[in-house]
Amino acid sequence: MGAQKSLSVPGRYDQIRRLCAFVGEGARQAGFDDDTIFHVELACDEACTNIIEHTYEGEGIGEIEVSWKLSADKFTVIIRDHGPRFDPSDVPDPPVPPDLDEVEELRVGGLGIFFMRRLMDDVTFSYLHGKGNILTMVKHRSQNEDS
Amino acid sequence: MTIRQQSLPGSLWLVTVNGRLDQNATPALEETLNELLSAGHDRLIVDLSEATYINSGGLRCLVAAWRKARQQGGDVYLCGLRARVNEVFSMVGFDKVFSIYPTQREAAAAWREAA
Repeated sequence: MGAQKSLSVPGRYDQIRRLCAFVGEGARQAGFDDDTIFHVELACDEACTNIIEHTYEGEGIGEIEVSWKLSADKFTVIIRDHGPRFDPSDVPDPPVPPDLDEVEELRVGGLGIFFMRRLMDDVTFSYLHGKGNILTMVKHRSQNEDS
Repeated sequence: MTIRQQSLPGSLWLVTVNGRLDQNATPALEETLNELLSAGHDRLIVDLSEATYINSGGLRCLVAAWRKARQQGGDVYLCGLRARVNEVFSMVGFDKVFSIYPTQREAAAAWREAA
């Protein structure tokens, strides 16, 4: 109980799988089933992809730090970057099912945040002035998921 | 990820994706599909039976090809989606956008019927 780990990598697409595996291992320790671990990893993938594409606007610009924390009732993933403020209220959810006339215009950012919100129980964005964005994603644990 | 392409009878082209279809791998698939479409090969089947993972970037790549193919009078049929890949499609309603078949054989048969 109370385990916590963090990993910092360069913001490059070829590092995202490593970050997802790192978070997935934490989710496994939380006692989640394979489907839930997949959901946590996909949410992490989308978050890190968005940071590279939209916050840093390219690969190799800055670091991504991912940490996870396990408590009795929840599994928390915190993802930090060192880029400019990212305001998710600027990014509307895509329509589901999609509007076929607009489907080509779907932005990765919009889809990515949509996935994060669908796959995790709580998703919050905050900004630490001059230091970067902090994304916190929570998955609640049920009583039969032991650490 | 590896990508294979193969011509099939009836002016069809089959593209098979093996591995993780994520942001790291999407450019290669995008290039393959764009090359086929630019050459006028717009009757496509993308076989995802060997694709173990897809994220929003992979979805966007397939949607872009679907849109371009339809503008040219063709289409992109998908087949062989594994449960997790299918779940991602369903989550955003893309299972309603694409024609999706269990196998290559059924996708090819659907193309022949559409002709």
